[in-house]
Amino acid sequence: MSARDRILGRLAARLQTGEDRAAAVSARLAGRRPETPRPSQSRTEGAAMVDQFCAKAKAADATVTRIASLDELPSALAAELRNRNLGPSIRIGADPALSGLDWAGIEVSHGTGRIEEPATLSVAPYALAETGTLAFRSGPDNPVTLTFLGETHFAVVRAADIRPGFEELFAAHRASGADPRTLNFVTGPSRSADIGQKLQLGAHGPVALHIFVVD
Amino acid sequence: MSAEEPTSRRFKENVREAMADQSLQKALRAAGGGFVAKRSAAAGAVPEFEAIRDAGRDLKNHVLGHLDLYLAEYEGKVTAAGGHVHWAETAEDMRRIVLDICRKAGARTVNKGKTMISEEAGINGFLEDNGITPVETDLGEYIIQLRHEHPSHIIAPAIHVPAEEVETLFREKHTHLPADRNLDDLSTLLSEARTILRKKYFEAEVGITGANMLIAETGQSVIVTNEGNGDLSQSLPKVHIVLASLEKIVPTLEDAATVLRLLARSATGQEMSVYTTFSSGPRRAEDPDGPEEYHVVLLDNGRTEMVGTEFQEMLRCIRCGACMNHCPVYQAVGGHAYGWVYPGPMGAVLTPSLIGVEEGGLLPNASTFCGRCEAVCPMRIPLPKMMRHWREREFERNLAPKAARYGIRLWAFFAERPALYRLATRAAMFVLGKLGGKRGRFAKLPLAGGWTDHRDFPAPEGETFMAAWAKAEKTKAAR
Repeated sequence: MSARDRILGRLAARLQTGEDRAAAVSARLAGRRPETPRPSQSRTEGAAMVDQFCAKAKAADATVTRIASLDELPSALAAELRNRNLGPSIRIGADPALSGLDWAGIEVSHGTGRIEEPATLSVAPYALAETGTLAFRSGPDNPVTLTFLGETHFAVVRAADIRPGFEELFAAHRASGADPRTLNFVTGPSRSADIGQKLQLGAHGPVALHIFVVD
Repeated sequence: MSAEEPTSRRFKENVREAMADQSLQKALRAAGGGFVAKRSAAAGAVPEFEAIRDAGRDLKNHVLGHLDLYLAEYEGKVTAAGGHVHWAETAEDMRRIVLDICRKAGARTVNKGKTMISEEAGINGFLEDNGITPVETDLGEYIIQLRHEHPSHIIAPAIHVPAEEVETLFREKHTHLPADRNLDDLSTLLSEARTILRKKYFEAEVGITGANMLIAETGQSVIVTNEGNGDLSQSLPKVHIVLASLEKIVPTLEDAATVLRLLARSATGQEMSVYTTFSSGPRRAEDPDGPEEYHVVLLDNGRTEMVGTEFQEMLRCIRCGACMNHCPVYQAVGGHAYGWVYPGPMGAVLTPSLIGVEEGGLLPNASTFCGRCEAVCPMRIPLPKMMRHWREREFERNLAPKAARYGIRLWAFFAERPALYRLATRAAMFVLGKLGGKRGRFAKLPLAGGWTDHRDFPAPEGETFMAAWAKAEKTKAAR
């Protein structure tokens, strides 16, 4: 008998109840579960939801700019790079949302994250108003390493893609049919308190996270 | 059992040494209280928090009642996504499986995200013995790996290290850097570690992470970090290995949300940790980055034997660390005194389950039964009750020290005879009350050196509670 069968066998012997346990499990996996409480902060709507997303992201030490359309992204990004004393260059993936833009003075390179990456840009297909969190899907459009290797990580999300809570975000994710290797939730820039228990921003991931919300 | 020998048997000596360790005491004082205030504020900001705790408890109970079925479902989903599931009955099995995967990948260095299961299974020492270099990438884990130590806290592994010792350590170990460099403030220490580890991410052939959850519906493993090290460790090497224990399963994405809503608030007081990553299988055909192989190693190591016993509820634990952050014993002695992988109240319950009551039987005594651990546990695990179960077992098996056994027997003799008990306590209180005199306290008392060496013992006021009660009742009746 394999280790697997011995482990599952021990559990089955201890868990037999005479009830139809398989039916209970299938029901739960099919989404039938008891009414589960959720935080009221996960139930915002409309403009208040977008405002809460921005406020929560800022509370997690991200910075946020709201822009009227994607066409404004290159100039808004150029301004942010200047403000941060970063050179006019950005690393991005193949996301179609970014491909038609006129990058004007910004030097754009495409591909995965490299060992030194001053500024990267990713598109978040969803965000969570509940906690000011961005959600990224790995893949060629937005390589996962751009999210973690950029010294400053820029993210763009459409206001229409902000969801009130996890429940709505997961429903949208299932409905999209996308099957990325990773679904990455990001709330603010990286941090650590491991030296002397004092919180510092910029551990292994980005030192700064800037979000463009496209209304 | 871990490759490292537990020292839980010498818990009392460990405690004495910890209390006398000035550097440890300084670090504990510096850290103390921060977690408590943050957790309290975060929980208080969500009106539904208590109801979500109930839901978390019910969710885990449901999973534990059907764990075999969920594990089989999960395995099917991982395999369908192109990943591999390995089953380890013991720590030794896990070490062998991990080494095997590393060898097949031709690994010379292995990057590690934070994983307590790796500590439990003794992965690092075993890889080193076999010529493979493990590199801890969580900043706290990196610091203690350089110090040849183990974590003293499950989410703040280097909580026992004062900041100035980190500077000394980096100067001693990072010899390739100029000796006269300025490391005066914490940010220079952080950026030095960041630069060194950034290079390591690109060198390792294998990345190992833990898992905060395994999702049966999707076959995903979930990691929660603040540093981003777990993600770099799994995204850059060719092979990603996830080490997880059996009970990490949750049924669906929405169930994972319930756990996430409790985890960070209970641990650090954040609403969400910075990075929460759901991973399934290897990189997809069109992906430009991510690992080419994905392995999950599931560890039993005594957990199936807890199912169906009075210790089953311990398997609800989500490793947030709130119990140790709120424990007066942990706060006084730190995590190393507990002598094995898991410290604090959760460790006091789990350690005897995993390595035996002979090894870990002293730990459930490391409690004042103040109940704060249970009061803050997001999964509502009745930790004090389970510590009592262990104390009973320790007593039944004659493992308790002689003095304690005879003392308890003597007390039981009186306690079973209430009239005699009242008479004896009344006499003792009277005598002690007289001896205490005007000062009302004792600087020294026979057989009570453990107390009076460190503080005075308040003298009884000459009357027992029962006597005072009886007197008050009599006065009431007379009115």
